[in-house]
Amino acid sequence: MSEQPSAQAVAPGPQAETQVATQSDKILDVKDLHTYFFTDLGVARALNGVTYSIPREKVLGVVGESGCGKSVTALSIMQLVQPPGRIVRGEIVLHRQTGKGEEDVVITHLDRHSAEMRRIRGAEIAMIFQEPMTSLNPVYTIGAQIMEAVLLHHDVDKAEARARAIRMLDRVGMPSPEIVVDQYPHQISGGMRQRAMIALALSCSPSLLIADEPTTALDVTTEAQILDLMRELQHDIGMSIMFITHDLGVIAQMADEVVIMYLGRIVEQSPVVPLFYDPKHPYTKALLRSIPHISAERNKERLQPIRGVVPNPYSRISGCPFHPRCDSFMPGVCDVKVPGVTRLDDNRTVRCFLYSDRVEENNEQPS
Amino acid sequence: MTAYLIRRLGYMLVTLIFVTIVGFLVIELPPGSYLEFYIDQLRQQGGNVTQDQIVALERRYGLNDPIYVKFWKWVSGFPRGDFGESFQHHRPVSELIWERLGYTVLISFTTLIVSWSLAILVGVYSATHRYTIPDYIITAIQFVAMAIPNFLLALILMIFLQQTFGLKVGTLYSPEYRDAPMSLAKFLDLLGHIWLPVVVLGFAGTAWTSRVMRANLLDVLNMQYIQTARAKGAPERTVIWKHAVRNALHPLVMTLGMSLPGLFSGETVVSTVLNLPTSGPIYFQALIQQDMYLAGTFLFFFAIALLIGNLLADILLAWLDPRIQYS
Amino acid sequence: MAKLLDKSAIVTGVDAQEVSEVGELSQGRLTWLRFKRNKLAVIGGIGLIVLYILVALGPFLASNDYMFQNQDYLYGPPTPITFIGPDGKLGLRPYTFEVSTRLDPEAFKFVFDINREHRLPLRFFVQGDEYKLLGLFPSRVHLIGVEGGQRFYPLGADALGRDVFARLLIGGQVSLTVGLVGVALTIVFGSIMGALSGYVGGLADDIIQRVIELIMSFPTVPLWAALAAALPPISADFTTLDRYFLITVILSLVNWTGLARQLRAKVMAYRESDFVMAALAAGASDRRIIFAHMLPNASSHIIVVAALSIPGMILGETALSFLGLGILPPAVSWGSMLTDAQHVPVVIEHPWLMTPGVAVILAVLFYAFLGDALRDAADPYSI
Repeated sequence: MSEQPSAQAVAPGPQAETQVATQSDKILDVKDLHTYFFTDLGVARALNGVTYSIPREKVLGVVGESGCGKSVTALSIMQLVQPPGRIVRGEIVLHRQTGKGEEDVVITHLDRHSAEMRRIRGAEIAMIFQEPMTSLNPVYTIGAQIMEAVLLHHDVDKAEARARAIRMLDRVGMPSPEIVVDQYPHQISGGMRQRAMIALALSCSPSLLIADEPTTALDVTTEAQILDLMRELQHDIGMSIMFITHDLGVIAQMADEVVIMYLGRIVEQSPVVPLFYDPKHPYTKALLRSIPHISAERNKERLQPIRGVVPNPYSRISGCPFHPRCDSFMPGVCDVKVPGVTRLDDNRTVRCFLYSDRVEENNEQPS
Repeated sequence: MTAYLIRRLGYMLVTLIFVTIVGFLVIELPPGSYLEFYIDQLRQQGGNVTQDQIVALERRYGLNDPIYVKFWKWVSGFPRGDFGESFQHHRPVSELIWERLGYTVLISFTTLIVSWSLAILVGVYSATHRYTIPDYIITAIQFVAMAIPNFLLALILMIFLQQTFGLKVGTLYSPEYRDAPMSLAKFLDLLGHIWLPVVVLGFAGTAWTSRVMRANLLDVLNMQYIQTARAKGAPERTVIWKHAVRNALHPLVMTLGMSLPGLFSGETVVSTVLNLPTSGPIYFQALIQQDMYLAGTFLFFFAIALLIGNLLADILLAWLDPRIQYS
Repeated sequence: MAKLLDKSAIVTGVDAQEVSEVGELSQGRLTWLRFKRNKLAVIGGIGLIVLYILVALGPFLASNDYMFQNQDYLYGPPTPITFIGPDGKLGLRPYTFEVSTRLDPEAFKFVFDINREHRLPLRFFVQGDEYKLLGLFPSRVHLIGVEGGQRFYPLGADALGRDVFARLLIGGQVSLTVGLVGVALTIVFGSIMGALSGYVGGLADDIIQRVIELIMSFPTVPLWAALAAALPPISADFTTLDRYFLITVILSLVNWTGLARQLRAKVMAYRESDFVMAALAAGASDRRIIFAHMLPNASSHIIVVAALSIPGMILGETALSFLGLGILPPAVSWGSMLTDAQHVPVVIEHPWLMTPGVAVILAVLFYAFLGDALRDAADPYSI
C-alpha cells in the first residue's frame, strides 16, 4: 500500500517494548496524542494533544459535539486511521495482562498493517460502531461474520467457531440464535443488528471494548436494552469500556469516569458524579445547561444552546479553542495562550484559565 | 424463484414477438425492394430483364404482397427452422445465420469474459493505489481507450502489426484451416487469430468497466462494514477482496446486461475492418440491398441473444446479492 | 455573506465565528468552483472551444474548397513547408516548394516531384475559392495561400484530389454538431417521458417502460443501421441537411431510454418527498410540480448525463458514416472521411487520410474530460 512516510514519533520498531510491571489500574494510556489529516484543503488537527487513561474494568465516557475528535481517538487506538490521516505524535500504551503478570505494548510503535497489531485488533481491543445498518457486511450471514473473527484469532475448526458464534449471540440476548446465525443483516432489526455487532466484538473476549456511539441510531427503548446489556456483560466478563457519545444522559447512566473533548483537546476530565454536580469547564457547564429538564420548575426555563457553531476543522484558533463561544471569556488572556492541563483535587483535571495560569507548554504545532 | 423464471420467460417471449414485428417493419421501411436492386445490378452488368421475368420473380419472392402477408410468411417458418431465403446469396437464411452468428456470439462472449476479468483487476488496483503514478497512467489509458472508435483501433493495430512484425492479420483462420473440420490444430489457429478482435472489441469496454469498478470500490471502502472488518483484525488483503470487492461487484453486474448490446454492435462494425466471418458485414450488406429476410432474421437473433444475456445477468445478480429476492 | 478567509491564517475571537461560516455558498457556485479546480476539465473546455472555433472558421482557414477535385493531385501528399529562405538562412517567412505531378508508367501511379530549388513563399489572406463564412457572409479570402497560384494542401489530398484539411474542418462542422443536436433531443424527450412515466404511474408507466425495454432489446448499431438504411436517397426533396437531422434523431432514438429510466426513478423518489407534498398542499398543478419542482432538482443529473452522452453520439455518427449509412456525399463528416481509410495498404501509403480519426479522438476526449469533471463537481458528497 502506498503510505506517506512516517513523521517523528511513530517509528515502526521490532517487537513492542515489554516490561513486566506491577498490575496497574489502567488498561490503556494515551499520552499527548496528535492525529492530523493532510488534505487538499489543509491540515485538519483532529487530535491536538490528547492525554487520558482508561481505567481497568470500568467505563470511561468520552463526550463532545460532532467534530471534536472523539471517534478519531478511538480509531487512533486501533490504528485504524486511514490516509490522509495519521498519528503524528504521541504514545498509546496497552497494559496487557498475561499469566505471568503485566506487559506494556506500545501500540504507536507497531506498524498499522503488522500481524502484531492485527492480533490486538479484535482479540484484545474490540470496537463497535454507530450505524448497525451499515456496520455489518450485507452479503455475508451474521454467523459467517462472527466466525471470521473467531477463526482469525483462535485456532479452532469451523464447527467450533460456529458453536461459539451461537453462544455469543445467545449471550447478547438474541432471540433464536441458531436461526439468526444463518440470516443476513437485512433480515433482522436494528436493535438485533447492534446486538450482533456486540456479539461479534466480544467473540474473542477482548479486555477493552470501544463503543463509538453505539445507541445513537437506535430508538430509546432499544437503546435502554442495549445499554443494560453492555453493563451486564461488562460486569460478567470484567471488561473495560470506552464509551463515546454526545448524549450526556447516556453518560450519566453508563460511565464511571468522563472525559470532555472540544476541537481535538480534552477540556475536562472527572469521575461522573462530580462532573454533573460540579462542572468546572465553561464548556461542560454550557453542555449541561443545554439539556432539557423534566422537573417542573426548571422546565419553564428556556433552553440555552451554546452560542456559535463548532469551527471548521482546518481553522487554527489562537489561544483557547473555546474562547469564541465562552461565556467566561477573558480578553487578553483566553485568546492569546492555550491553557495547560490543571490538576484539581482528587483526580479531576481541567484546561481553563479560570482555574490556573498554567499554559500549554508545547505550543508549537508539529507539522 | 422458479415462478419468477417462468414469468420472466413468458415476458421475454412477448418482448421477442414485439421485437420481431418492429424489426421487420423497420427493415421493410425503405421504399423499393431487393428486386429493384437486383434488376438495377443486372442492367448495370449489361443484361436486361423482361416483364415476364419480373413478374415471375415478384411472385416467387412474394414481393408485392401486403406487409402482413410477408410477415406471416416469414414468421410461420420459424418453428420449422425456416427463416426464409436470402436473395443475394440464394441460400436459406438459416444456413447463413448458423455459420455467422455462432462466431459473433463466440467472439462477443470471449471478449466479455476477458474484458471483465481484466477490468476487475485493474479497477481494484487503481482504487487501492489512488494518486500514484501507475494510477495516473491507467487513467490516461482508460480515457484514450474510451475515445478511440473501435474500427479505428482495429486499423491502427493492423497497421502496427504489419509494419513492425510483418504480420498480416485479420480473418479468424489461416487459409489452410478455413474449410477444414475442427481439430486441436485448428483450435490453436483460432486462438492465434481471435486475440485481435477480442482486444479491439474489449479495449473500450474494459476501460469503462474498470472505471466503474474503481468508483464502486471507492464508495464501498467508505462503508462502515469495511471498518468493522479491519477492526476484527482481518488482513488488508482479505478486507479488500472478501469484503469490499464482493459488494462493489453488485452494481457492476447490474450493468452487465447493458454491455451486451454494445458488444454485438461493436463486433458488427469491427468485423468489416478485420474481415471476420461474423454477422456484421453480411448484415449491413443485407440492409443496403434490402435482403429483408436475412436482415430481419439477424435482428431477431440479436434480440434473442440480448434477452438471454439479460436474464443470465439478472440471475447472476441474484446469486451475488442475498438482498435481492425474486418472488 | 461570509468572507472566504485564508484557511491557514490564525484567527481570534469574532473572526473565528466567521471562519466557521465558510460553507455558505450556493450549490451552483460550489459546483462551478469544484469544476474549475479540475485541470482536465479546463483542458477539455479550452480544447473544445478551440475545435469549435476552428471548424466554424473552416472555409477561411482552409486554402481550397472542400469539394474541389484536383485531378492533378490525387492522393497528393501534404505540402512541404520550410522556414529556410532562398538564401539558405532560417527565417520567419514560410516557404513551400514547387510540386509537379507525373505518371510513372511502370508502377502506373502518380508520382509527385518536389523541386527543392524553386521556393515559393506562402502568403496570408489571399484570394481563393469563393465560400460563405458561417453560411452567411460571402468571401474569397483564405488564411494561407501560395504565391503563384499553386494550391496549398497542409494535410494532403484524398483519392479524388480533395483537400483533406478543408474536408476535416467542414466535416468537423457536422461531426461536432450532430452530437449536440442529438443530445438536446435526448434531454427533451428523455426528461419528458421519464418524468411522465414516474409521476403518472399506472398504465402509462407500464406502456412506456415496455417501449423502453423494447428499444433496449436491440443492439444499437444494427438498429441505427436499419433505420439509416430506411432513409430516402439524397435528392431535391431530401437534402443532405434533412438527412443530417434525421440521423441525429436516429442517434437519440436509443439514447433517450437511458435518461428516461433514470429520471423515472428520481421522480418516483421525489413524489414521496416533502417538498412535493408541500407544493401539492399549496395547490400546485401536476404540470407545475413536474416542471418547476422536480426537473430543476434533477437538473444536475440531467446535465451530467447529457455531457456524458455526447462522446457516444459522436462515435455513433462516426461509425454509421464509416459504414456508409450515416452522412452521405456531397456532405462530409469525419466518419465518412474514414471510409476511404479502411484498407491497410492505402493508409500505409497515404497516412494523412487518418487525420479525421485523430480529430474524433480529440473531440471525444475533451468531452469525456468535461463530462467526468461535471459529474464529480455536481456530486455533493465528493471531496
